[in-house]
Amino acid sequence: MAFISLQGVSYTYSGRKEPAVRNISLNFGQVEKIAITGLNGSGKSTLAKLILGLLKPQNGEIILDGRPVGKYSLVEVGEKLGYVLQNPSQMMFNTSVYNEIAFGLKWRGKSKNEVHHLCKRYLDLFDLWDLRGELPFNLSEGQKQLVALSAVLALQPRYLILDEPTKSIDTFRKKKLKDILQEIWRQGTGIMVISHDIEFVAGFNGRRIHMAQGEVVEDAGRYKD
Amino acid sequence: MQVDIRTKLLIVAIFSVLALVYQDPRILGIILLLNLLTVTLFRISFNIFRGFKKFIYMYAMLMIIQSFFVKSGEPLIKLGNTYLLTTGGIFYGISIILRFLILVGSGLILVDCNTSELLLALVKLRIPYEIVFMIQMGIRFIPVFINELQNIFSGIQLRGVDLRKVYKRKVLRVYISIFSPLIYSVWLKAEKLSILLELRGFRKFPTRTYYRDISLKKLDYVVISLSLIVTVVLVYVLRGL
Ligand SMILES: Nc1ncnc2c1ncn2[C@@H]1O[C@H](COP(=O)(O)OP(=O)(O)OP(=O)(O)O)[C@@H](O)[C@H]1O
Ligand SMILES: [Mg+2]
Repeated sequence: MAFISLQGVSYTYSGRKEPAVRNISLNFGQVEKIAITGLNGSGKSTLAKLILGLLKPQNGEIILDGRPVGKYSLVEVGEKLGYVLQNPSQMMFNTSVYNEIAFGLKWRGKSKNEVHHLCKRYLDLFDLWDLRGELPFNLSEGQKQLVALSAVLALQPRYLILDEPTKSIDTFRKKKLKDILQEIWRQGTGIMVISHDIEFVAGFNGRRIHMAQGEVVEDAGRYKD
Repeated sequence: MQVDIRTKLLIVAIFSVLALVYQDPRILGIILLLNLLTVTLFRISFNIFRGFKKFIYMYAMLMIIQSFFVKSGEPLIKLGNTYLLTTGGIFYGISIILRFLILVGSGLILVDCNTSELLLALVKLRIPYEIVFMIQMGIRFIPVFINELQNIFSGIQLRGVDLRKVYKRKVLRVYISIFSPLIYSVWLKAEKLSILLELRGFRKFPTRTYYRDISLKKLDYVVISLSLIVTVVLVYVLRGL
């Protein structure tokens, strides 16, 4: 059975005439690798927010892990999915880079030792350990992006949704990110990447969904279950 | 009826002062009626009141609770030697609600004005532009602040952390820890704004011109005089009550 399933989903922002997402029906498997592409304003981020239940569709239904998304609290969604917003600074609310990573781990009940261990491991992924004492708001754009990614990766979700993960990231770390995603995918994590980065998407080598004006216009390399 | 924004401001000011000065629910009732009449004359829809439906129970509760604390007038419910509910208490409770409705109603008079007109009105009332600008930015930053808070809370929840259930005793610590980054991020936004202002030459020239203009027309003078007359008459008539 599909992990995420959308049936005839449409969403129009209030005050807008045209829907941002129109009549989308898609199924995503739990261990699928998906890249969603499309021009600016084609509805990619809106689609992600609908899946997370941050927006409620006016039409259609979204099933997440066997239940309508609307039936979950945001916390329950957060336990099933890891999500990095297109704008990473919107996700930062801690006083240091270390705490940014530690926050979710700590309040989800990991011991102090485990938290420390995981923080070190995930900050080391992108060479961020030396920045652990810094205020997240004062980092460079790319560093913020990497911190947001590490914070979500450290929680080791079963499914990852990344909105423009390569934004502001240098070539070296992009490659690193690709390898990390490949690795956790092999270990059984589903990944949905929303990206403009053609090179990154090509190297990602998964099912490719292309959106235009709120609709899915291409769905290639589909996973069969 | 299309009147100048300053006329509206005057009317709002009159209603607000009257609502605060009078306590008698009968008088407040009359003021509320006049208020609703004005709103109707200005052809403003009452839709906004719908949003208050949710709060009605809360206000009813507040009214009941408040009325237990005011001990004037005739006792209505007595428990031994203590008065639980008095006529004074009920009067007081009702006045609070009426006052609230009057204030909301006055606000309604202003809802269809856009902010820049409102600010221009303040400028024309000779309030220094810097102060008006600060008010404008204040208004602009309220949604920014709310948005920022919402982001933080959904960020917390999307990391699978449930502040309501699990960590009741430690929740205060979380609130304290997110408070300073919140202030800091809004402050950063404000700082960026001030740099942008400098770059665009804010206050480079002492006088500023406005694209829009507002002016008092005949209708405004009529409405203003009428409001003043009605107010004076009302105050005179109500003097005995
Ligand atoms: N909060 C909002 N209020 C109103 N309209 C919005 C809002 N957010 C997005 N939109 C509109 O919805 C449409 C889809 O936006 P969306 O953010 O999903 O695009 P996107 O595919 O993610 O674009 P990008 O590649 O630029 O990130 C756009 O036309 C946009 O203007
Ligand atoms: Mg987007």
